[in-house]
Amino acid sequence: MNKYLLSKKIVINELSTFYSFLIGLSIGIGIGSIILLTQGQNPIEVFSLMLRLSVGSVKSISTSLNKAIPLILAGLGISIINSVKLWNIGAEGQIFMGGIALNFLYINTEISSPNLMIVYLLITSFIGGAVCILFPAIAKVLFGVNEIITTLLFNYIIIGLTIYLVNGPWKDPGSLNFPAATYVGKEVYLPTVFGRLSYGFIICFLCTIGVHYLKEKSVFGYELRISGGSALTAIYAGINAKQKAFIAMLIGGGLAGLAGGVELLSQTHRVSTGLSQGFGYTAIIVAAITGMRPFGIFLVGSLFGALTIGGSVIQTMGVSSYIADVIQATTLFGALIAQFFFTYKIIKVSEDV
Amino acid sequence: MNQIILEAKNITKSFGNTNALKNVDFYLYESTIHGLLGENGAGKSSLMNILSGIYQPENGSLYIDGEKVKKLNPDIASKLGIGMVHQEFRLIDNFSIKDNLTLSKANIYTNSFHEGYEKYSDIFSLTVNYSTPISELSVGEKQKIEIMKLIFNNNKIMLLDEPTAVLTPQETNQLKISLKKLSKEDGKTIVLITHKLKEIQEFTDYIFVLKDGVMVAKDLETKNVTKNELITLMMGEIKQSEIRKDNQKGTNKLEIENISFENTHSNVPTLENLSLKVRAGEILGIAGVSGNGQVELANIISGIEREYSGKVIVNGKNISNQGVSSRKNLNLSYIPENRLGVGLAPGVSIIDNSAVKDYYKARFGPHLSGNKMLNYLNILIKQFSIKAPNPKAEVSTLSGGNMQKLLMGRELISNPEVIIAAQPTRGLDVNAVEALHDLIVMQRDKGAAVMLISEDLDELFKLSDRIIVMYEGRIVKEFSMDEADIESVGLAMAGLNE
Amino acid sequence: MFDIQLMGLLNATLQAATLLFIAALGELITEKSGILNLGVEGMISIGAVTGFITAVNTGNIFLSVLVGILSASLFSSLHAFVTIILKQDQTVSGLILTILGLSLSALMGKQYVGKKLPVKIESLGNIDEPTNIIEVFISQNYIFYLSIFLMISTAYLLKKTMFGRRLEAVGEDSRAADSMGLNVNKTQFIATCVGGGLSGLAGVYLTLSYVPYWTDNMTSGRGWIALALVIFGGWKPYRTAIGALLFGFLEALVPRLQTYGFELSPYLVKITPYAITIIILVVLTIYKGGRTGAPSNIGIPFFRESR
Repeated sequence: MNKYLLSKKIVINELSTFYSFLIGLSIGIGIGSIILLTQGQNPIEVFSLMLRLSVGSVKSISTSLNKAIPLILAGLGISIINSVKLWNIGAEGQIFMGGIALNFLYINTEISSPNLMIVYLLITSFIGGAVCILFPAIAKVLFGVNEIITTLLFNYIIIGLTIYLVNGPWKDPGSLNFPAATYVGKEVYLPTVFGRLSYGFIICFLCTIGVHYLKEKSVFGYELRISGGSALTAIYAGINAKQKAFIAMLIGGGLAGLAGGVELLSQTHRVSTGLSQGFGYTAIIVAAITGMRPFGIFLVGSLFGALTIGGSVIQTMGVSSYIADVIQATTLFGALIAQFFFTYKIIKVSEDV
Repeated sequence: MNQIILEAKNITKSFGNTNALKNVDFYLYESTIHGLLGENGAGKSSLMNILSGIYQPENGSLYIDGEKVKKLNPDIASKLGIGMVHQEFRLIDNFSIKDNLTLSKANIYTNSFHEGYEKYSDIFSLTVNYSTPISELSVGEKQKIEIMKLIFNNNKIMLLDEPTAVLTPQETNQLKISLKKLSKEDGKTIVLITHKLKEIQEFTDYIFVLKDGVMVAKDLETKNVTKNELITLMMGEIKQSEIRKDNQKGTNKLEIENISFENTHSNVPTLENLSLKVRAGEILGIAGVSGNGQVELANIISGIEREYSGKVIVNGKNISNQGVSSRKNLNLSYIPENRLGVGLAPGVSIIDNSAVKDYYKARFGPHLSGNKMLNYLNILIKQFSIKAPNPKAEVSTLSGGNMQKLLMGRELISNPEVIIAAQPTRGLDVNAVEALHDLIVMQRDKGAAVMLISEDLDELFKLSDRIIVMYEGRIVKEFSMDEADIESVGLAMAGLNE
Repeated sequence: MFDIQLMGLLNATLQAATLLFIAALGELITEKSGILNLGVEGMISIGAVTGFITAVNTGNIFLSVLVGILSASLFSSLHAFVTIILKQDQTVSGLILTILGLSLSALMGKQYVGKKLPVKIESLGNIDEPTNIIEVFISQNYIFYLSIFLMISTAYLLKKTMFGRRLEAVGEDSRAADSMGLNVNKTQFIATCVGGGLSGLAGVYLTLSYVPYWTDNMTSGRGWIALALVIFGGWKPYRTAIGALLFGFLEALVPRLQTYGFELSPYLVKITPYAITIIILVVLTIYKGGRTGAPSNIGIPFFRESR
């Protein structure tokens, strides 16, 4: 008989995803330090600078949190869709589509009340994201087409559409070296609090609470859970599992679209290929690593915002901003590895006869 | 007595909180058929899975031909000559018969596949070509391929887990002949797992009995033990209660008229012109080997399957065109065959699962009251004595008996008018079975019309007031309890109707 | 003149297709074993940068190719470790692998941006402007021919050999394969690393031949196309090659559209292969009853003790 055996734990610590993340973070920082050392940098100096510039003041915290908004919103959308055990790999495209839809409404409407306009624009971005996932959702519920693949492929279609728009119909003649659409007017910029923090963050926090409620406390969330647990049980219970999955996908896509809308109105102020820097993909990982818990996504998303800001500011020290990406990725791998030890145990086999 | 070929000592294995095996000793004689008897959940499958290298025990050692086995996995086990046929077949559906028979590294018919296949198709009276994909085979054929797989891998020790569960009595008989041939002519050592006494007595030379993970009897010579002794060993002291059959029958509560159903997705048997009636206070037994349309019938009655022709009438109301919720309103309960997967959603908490039938009673608009759900679960736990310590734990952490109690409690607590129960006690230990039978009879006495779908003839004979036999989507025979006997019902189940 | 243009288009198609095909073939092998690796983009980057660095420092082409393959393979073993040994989610791990591969390769290649290659991969014949099909083929380098060899041998291996059947068995039904004595973990681990190695080869082709220089993010989405190609090809090597030619053709066509005088937007033309892939996927799912060719067990971690 073998010496060891692997066994699944029955009771898993409820905070295990949080602990896993902390363990992952220390692994990430450790590996980041080693890379910094090989580049002739003092890790402590670099990290303390990163810390200072990302969370050292109200201003820098605001910048970090602003960066976290699209991650959190898209992550929340992914977590809703995952309630029915479906994946949305298309958040990246949905973010762009949110921006595109918003811009479309903006250039085709007369503005009478800017504040009301902002609301309309954001709603439109939500609809844009939902429209972007519409085809994968229909293909999934009607024909069972794998949603991982269709949502993934739609990213390329939407990003292609973005490139087309910013090089063609929407091209800003003033933007020479970087193709982009014309800026939206200042009157529809999202207002800020504490100097820099965008109202988007408040939207983000409200969405977190909303998604938590929807998933955990509502009838809809219950029906999603049952449908996700077993489609047959849902049918047996008289729950229209396909309809619920469809709605969940639209909401999830919509939230990613909203992420694009908020990002546009608060950060980039125009449609370009820079509207999302891989937020849609990072959001998937953030959502997964937190066990799809809304408040976990809020927390880890915020941390990742800080890490990204920290990464971009250390460029001034001559350190590549990619180091932040490496730390992010190793943190995530570290968290996955740690998660294994929270869900499995290794038992030594005895042979006493 | 032949030589001992395999010996397992002091095997202990647990799954989470439940001990599947406790210090079990087990051994096998060469060229002999052994019966491993025990109730469902006694640990038979776990023990076989350990011998074939699938599960690792926490404690214990294994000797083959007197030599200690240092490391074991399915590959090593196969090379040591141990092979197992699992209850759920381990065949690759998209692959041909030939691929499935030759993939293993232990395969000895690499160069002489055709002769081998011919020889053993003969022994097993198998008539399909070896290039046929597994997905096109019948259950019986698949099983033959599974056993052949062991032969092709030169496995001297063949562990068969409930091989007769999916077979008709006639197929079972044929299997018996093939196995005897294999042990006598090819010198195979065979272990047959079953909880059916009749088969143990007909098939085997020696009997081992497991009860609650403990080996309670070893080495019994089959010809020297009686059925009653085996029952006592297997179940301990049981109170096999007789069911009163003096129940008052009322009006027709469930009527089905001319139901026909065609499954467009696959070639699953269709239903042809089925009609039946169940009265208040009556239990109608539906006998049949699984896969003969019982599930489809139950799904139609419960409103899950909507594409059919014919009428479903509950309490005088024609609800043929309505869905699941209309049945819920008429207080119809359905206990599906597949308890984890249909009746209960795996991966979802106990509390969520307890509310599947009545969750809309805990809603205020879009809000779902957590407190109401918890109260409801607590009532179920109390009334049906369910052991479920943590409501938030996944439902699959419950034992089979507690899962079924949760499911049946949920469906029966509202004293339904009509109950459709499919295989309600499959895979449960005898005490749980007794408790669940009592529940069904209690509902009958309260005036429910019960349709009991089961493969277990003992259960059907014990509970039913009438028995209908289904075969290939048709009702082939109806028996009143006076005229029904196991043999004629068995023949009807096999489609051999006089 | 027209001939030269047409041959130029063919030449560019073959070059673009070679890169895509090699990466897709790698992913195909990985997925056949039941492991989904979304990290192709990252693995190509690692192969590209390590191959380039080796070439600049040693000038040894053979060594560069080898280093590119091995380092990408080693890199992919991280995904194998996390998903196979530790049984974590394959989608998540693959995405992280992409982020890690892109950032790590950017860090490693920082000093090499703008460096010139001292060597290049040899072709059968050196022809600057091929005028007929034979010359186009002669002007392709050795990796092109290697990819054809890989296509044929993989197709043969999968369908006709025990090794291939076992690989497929693991990806179809890991529990059944396990009970047949096949080593599921080992098979999947090897398939993942082979897939990574081929992605690395694609990366080497990128930096040593296709665009002979190094810069950050130069894979520019080709890894994702490779993933789409596997689906397009229904998990079959030859059909995947046809898909690679189609995607390669469009990649080659787009910059030439204007010179041909077409008014079509090149950006919209670039979208078409993705749209075609989606349509093919939907049609296959509908008409083949869900049997798109995908291995049944893909994405599901194997744990022998699970009940």
